[in-house]
Amino acid sequence: MLQINNLSVSYDSVQAVNQISFTAQKGRITTVIGANGAGKTTLLRTISGLIAPKSGTISWSGREIQGMRPENIVRAGIAQAPEGHSVIAELTVEENIRMGALFRLRTNRADVRAAISESYELFPRLEERKSQKAGTLSGGERQMLAISRALVSRPELLLLDEPSLGLAPLIVEQIIDTVSILCREKGLTVLLVEQNANTALAIADHGVLLALGKVVADMPAAQLRADESLRAAYLGY
Amino acid sequence: MQTFLNALFTGGSRGAIYALVALGLVLVWRGAGLINFAQMGQAMFSAYVASTLIAQGYNYWIAFFVALIVGAALGAAIDILVIRPLKKKSGTAILGSPSMRDAIPVIASLGILGILQSVAGMIWAGSERGFPAPVSTVALKVGGNTMPFTYFDLFTIGIVILILIATSLFLARTSVGLAMRASALNSEVARLSGIRTRSIRTLGWVISGAVASVAGLLVTPATNISPNSLDLILIIGFTACVIGGLDSLLGSVIGGFLLGFVIAFISVYDIPEDIFIAIFLILMGIMFFRPQGLFGSEVGRRV
Ligand SMILES: Nc1ncnc2c1ncn2[C@@H]1O[C@H](COP(=O)(O)OP(=O)(O)OP(=O)(O)O)[C@@H](O)[C@H]1O
Ligand SMILES: [Mg+2]
Repeated sequence: MLQINNLSVSYDSVQAVNQISFTAQKGRITTVIGANGAGKTTLLRTISGLIAPKSGTISWSGREIQGMRPENIVRAGIAQAPEGHSVIAELTVEENIRMGALFRLRTNRADVRAAISESYELFPRLEERKSQKAGTLSGGERQMLAISRALVSRPELLLLDEPSLGLAPLIVEQIIDTVSILCREKGLTVLLVEQNANTALAIADHGVLLALGKVVADMPAAQLRADESLRAAYLGY
Repeated sequence: MQTFLNALFTGGSRGAIYALVALGLVLVWRGAGLINFAQMGQAMFSAYVASTLIAQGYNYWIAFFVALIVGAALGAAIDILVIRPLKKKSGTAILGSPSMRDAIPVIASLGILGILQSVAGMIWAGSERGFPAPVSTVALKVGGNTMPFTYFDLFTIGIVILILIATSLFLARTSVGLAMRASALNSEVARLSGIRTRSIRTLGWVISGAVASVAGLLVTPATNISPNSLDLILIIGFTACVIGGLDSLLGSVIGGFLLGFVIAFISVYDIPEDIFIAIFLILMGIMFFRPQGLFGSEVGRRV
């Protein structure tokens, strides 16, 4: 279980995340939706340890993790596929995937190999392109690669930052389906950040609506999906 | 013809040394984003240590490996004691501007160079000293014909090629090498992947220090060592990096060899004083016509 408690994050003068609290249940998909600049990316970067919060706590499986280094947060079981399909363009597809498992090589070499082949089963297009430079991939393939890289670390919590960004509906559907299968079948906990509220709320169990760095709604996804007035006020549709 | 071949082989063995210096600079650049001007200070220091050991009767190879360790340890110490704390402090008001943030570690490395030079001056009383080469420095003879190169030239080129191959295999084939490339290319994605980029960066300083020390050991038999005898080599090595493109290992090595040839031919066919002018012109030419270097990626440039 991930618990965010009164979390505030600011950049010099901008208060990007303001006293937010919510919980992501184990084995469920929780989605955080909100317009541009709502603070979604800031929230995920703070959970991953890339930014230190100004105040508040983040607790994961009963342990406070705010202020920990990103590389240790991965070791604690939290992996992120960052915004903009971040992969390392100059490395090959296979190297990008292996990168996510390097820290487990010494302790569990056999499982690293298994994890890599699992990600190829999940996304066969990546296997076909494994010795290609990641920079030559399409946007959708990059997103698959970013997710695979996160998955080979065998996370218990997967953070996804706008996986649908700039992708064709068909690809979005494929990626979203894969994520929900992982969640249902393997008990993966997912925190999905999206601007595309319809797609996200359709597969999520729980929804958190963020506006200008504050939580304005925190309710079951179906309920949030049905609430026309909230959506009109904060998402504009 | 003999003169030409002589210049060619001298250029090759000098170029090999410049290539090593450039390789050391690139390793730190890719990891830490700064030109380590202290590098030849580290090399000078470890060459002095080697000369002391050899003067006391130790075997050349023992001195060689001790020197490598000294160079590597100095690299780690500079990163951990100076560069890391500076990076941590860079959020404060005075250091806030990005250009200052980039400039300060470079200035610090110049400061460290000064410190290493004066400490070496105190310990070894600033005396010039050297040690014999591990193999003969007279020209090779094959069937009564004098060859245009010495055993030591071959030794130098051999060692350098060995190091270049070992370094590229390490980077391309091992998992630590992959971690190093990933950290250099995109440290944020690397950290999100669980790579301890800070330790990996220190490892870059360690390898760079060892590589630079080899360069120092290889020039000493020819030039003797004094606290600032390696300054010129640093400038040449830096130029080699700029020629090759600062983020390209292969490019900087080729740049090193290229400069070796240029310098050898100028000293043979022209007056040695023109070397500086030539280096300067090459540097300016590259800056004007191909600022990313011959092999550098355009976006990879960090300054
Ligand atoms: N590095 C930064 N420095 C200063 N301000 C920042 C920085 N990153 C984000 N901000 C500001 O913080 C606020 C929240 O940004 P954030 O990227 O978290 O939004 P978001 O919800 O992810 O938006 P989007 O949907 O466009 O990705 C914005 O006002 C943004 O301008
Ligand atoms: Mg965002």
